[in-house]
Amino acid sequence: MSELNPARPWTMRIAFAALIVVILFFHMLPLQTATGGWIWPDFILAFALAWSVRRPDFVPLALLALLFLLADLLLQRPPGLWAALALVACSQMQHQARSLRDASLATELMSAAAWIVGVGIGYRIVLAVLLVDMPSLAPALLQIVITVMAYPVVVGITHALMGVRKSTPHDMGSAGVRT
Amino acid sequence: MAKDRNSVDYGGPLRRLVLAVLILALTGTFLLWRIDSPRVERLRAQVTDRILPNMDWAMAPVTGTINLFRDFQSYRRIAEQNAELRRELRQMEAWKEAALQLEQENARLLDLNNVRLDPRLTYITGVVLADSGSPFRQSVLLNVGARDGSVEGWATMDGIGLVGRVSGVAQNTARVIMVTDASSRVPAVIQPSGQKAIVAGDNTAAPPIDFLENPDLVRAGDRVITSGDGGVFPAGLLVGQVAEDPGGRLRVRLAADYERLEFLRVLRHYGTEPVSDTTDVLTPAEEAALLQEEVPE
Repeated sequence: MSELNPARPWTMRIAFAALIVVILFFHMLPLQTATGGWIWPDFILAFALAWSVRRPDFVPLALLALLFLLADLLLQRPPGLWAALALVACSQMQHQARSLRDASLATELMSAAAWIVGVGIGYRIVLAVLLVDMPSLAPALLQIVITVMAYPVVVGITHALMGVRKSTPHDMGSAGVRT
Repeated sequence: MAKDRNSVDYGGPLRRLVLAVLILALTGTFLLWRIDSPRVERLRAQVTDRILPNMDWAMAPVTGTINLFRDFQSYRRIAEQNAELRRELRQMEAWKEAALQLEQENARLLDLNNVRLDPRLTYITGVVLADSGSPFRQSVLLNVGARDGSVEGWATMDGIGLVGRVSGVAQNTARVIMVTDASSRVPAVIQPSGQKAIVAGDNTAAPPIDFLENPDLVRAGDRVITSGDGGVFPAGLLVGQVAEDPGGRLRVRLAADYERLEFLRVLRHYGTEPVSDTTDVLTPAEEAALLQEEVPE
């Protein structure tokens, strides 16, 4: 079983970083120079939440913070704010990971949706309080809704294609670590 | 391995400490940006400059492939496009004839007046490396930076119309904020009425015209060119044509082709020289003095 390999957490951490970099890469492609294009879900947040619930040990907080800050810098957002909010969301999801382990997908989806909406709304509130120019409301709300809708798909990809699944007692027991 | 076991202990005090430190650092970055934006924006430009040129080898083929598929989709409409193009071509023939005559006339008139067009408005052409990556910001990244002498605030065009202004210059790259971005304001003149206005970007394809003194003098189809007020853009660059939206608001249909921005010209602009001193027009007193000098002969 590959989970027994002590190098696996590091492999998966590097894999996660690569995944985020690939998402950023597709964001940056000069395909959409005109206005009024598609609004895509926030895949970075969705994947980070999905991995956080499944295997918190694959997405350490420091790695998440670094990648979120990189995303902020490259995507022309005010640096640090969205990253901090997303980090809080992910850390809370990691905290709930144990209770969500046996829960159904619906429960997990509710929890994730709450955090996605929370990050989106909190971001706008802080920007409004500090009088920063912000994107118009309608597309921003639309992006939040689309991200929530895309979350199950992201979970499917994470589970089936990337093989990141919720740890079972068997995995933990064989690694010799009490949960 | 001890570190790994610690990180498995998800509620541990160490984890809470790490979280607090990270959030403090991120919030600190944000507050620093809010207080001293230019410094952090320079850091952003440098990070982008470090990362993006390295991705370029992969971005070019992927972009090319995706554009190939998009073109492929448009092949299905090829017959009707062809008919449309033929129609347009016939119109263009007429225009071409008119243009040639006008060009000759213009050359004669310029020759008569001994006009020298501004020789200092030269340009650097750059390739578009990346877009803003988010639907909320309208900007592109060019591969001409401080190394090529690019300077903040210079105007960029796509050969026909104004595209935007350089904002954020790193060593190898420069970011161009486009006219359609919500933070863009371009002082403009509407010809032929000569009305001054501001073209204010609002994240739509056709930015609205603000601060127009007399909208009655402006009609759809009028040309919008930069006025050169404010000293950021040189005067006389074509922005687009006036169009009226269904709500009755005047907007600019931009002349530049925003759908496919591949190359951009960065115009070298060293500022319009301000007329600071009053001209040496003879004041009545000086005139009298001059007359006095001439009289003795």
